[in-house]
Amino acid sequence: MDIFTLSIWIFTIIFVIVSLIKDKKKTFDSLKVALKMGKAMALSIFSVIFLIGLILAIIPPENIASFIEKQNPFIATIGSAILGTITLIPAFIAFPLVGTLVDASVNIVAAVAFLTTLTMVGIVTFPLEKKEFGLKFTITRNLLSFIFAILIALCMGVIL
Amino acid sequence: MKKLIKNNLSIVLIAIVYITLFIVKTSLALTSVKNSGYYIKEMLMIMPVIFVLTALLDTWIDKKTIMKYLGKSSKSKGVILSFVLGSISAGPIYAAFPICVLLHKKGASIRNIIIILSSWAVIKVPMLINEVKFLGIQFMAVRWVLTIIAILIFSFIGDKIIKDEDLSVDKKFIDGKVSINTRACIGCGVCAKTYPSLFSVENKKAHLNKIDNIDDEQLNKAIDSCPVNALNK
Repeated sequence: MDIFTLSIWIFTIIFVIVSLIKDKKKTFDSLKVALKMGKAMALSIFSVIFLIGLILAIIPPENIASFIEKQNPFIATIGSAILGTITLIPAFIAFPLVGTLVDASVNIVAAVAFLTTLTMVGIVTFPLEKKEFGLKFTITRNLLSFIFAILIALCMGVIL
Repeated sequence: MKKLIKNNLSIVLIAIVYITLFIVKTSLALTSVKNSGYYIKEMLMIMPVIFVLTALLDTWIDKKTIMKYLGKSSKSKGVILSFVLGSISAGPIYAAFPICVLLHKKGASIRNIIIILSSWAVIKVPMLINEVKFLGIQFMAVRWVLTIIAILIFSFIGDKIIKDEDLSVDKKFIDGKVSINTRACIGCGVCAKTYPSLFSVENKKAHLNKIDNIDDEQLNKAIDSCPVNALNK
């Protein structure tokens, strides 16, 4: 567990204790609501997770990297941005992967586009996001994030 | 049974794919399960605490406070606070969903919600540390600055496009003064507890009872009490 996750746990535990001291009934009601929320979201989260597992098994990240390496800069950028939107890869896999891409002198634009869309835009999390925020919010946020991911990548290409 | 399948269509489909895969190509199915394992661990480490935190914040933080710090009139102070909140977070982007829904319900602006979600996804501190390790400090710094600028711009655009009512109003159930988003409703019954003569729980969903005089104050209290923002005026 990294320090940030740990701090959230510690903070929440203290919060629960303070809340218990202030008002027992309210606290138990809150905990019940938390449980209900968890139950309501659990199935959706599991389907997202197993879908990611499946996608990563069919197209492993290393294959994505070797695909990006072979393309011309334009296709590499668009392609990697799109590939990035499909999957959701943990940072500890994504960064070494992008690191090797940059070391292999794949153009930096494609690498950054991949990195940003990987985390910010999510096709697999789309149904979950839609359920929580509604369709219009989800489409707008993902679309804007996608466009700006490419813009960030282009600027990185100019600067670095 | 039919309804149960329909409500959980995605997980049913995925289960079918996995079962088929196990029969047709066992090795691929096993790899998929192994891949999923990491994400399940990641989820279990953060989601329980997120739900508890969201519910507690809902109970103890009042609307005025959130509105003051993250609402439309919070201006640049709200923007900075949103960046900070997103950056010190942990866990995947979906962990931010319940908290952001709550903050929006309590009066946070769309712009600040987008900022929290986006910075939660791409510029949180644990991620930046990792990035320095593999890509160098210069790469991280440039990407960080550019990403912040980008988020500033597109959260502004998003705020213009998305209206507050657009959030979670997929299915409405209007009955005079109040609408119930039956998709968002988790049937927790808090509204029924807050305003028992108007709300009840039927088929695991909030239900409006027919009454003659709706007490606005009590109605507002019930609307505010909904943990998933399923009630709207």
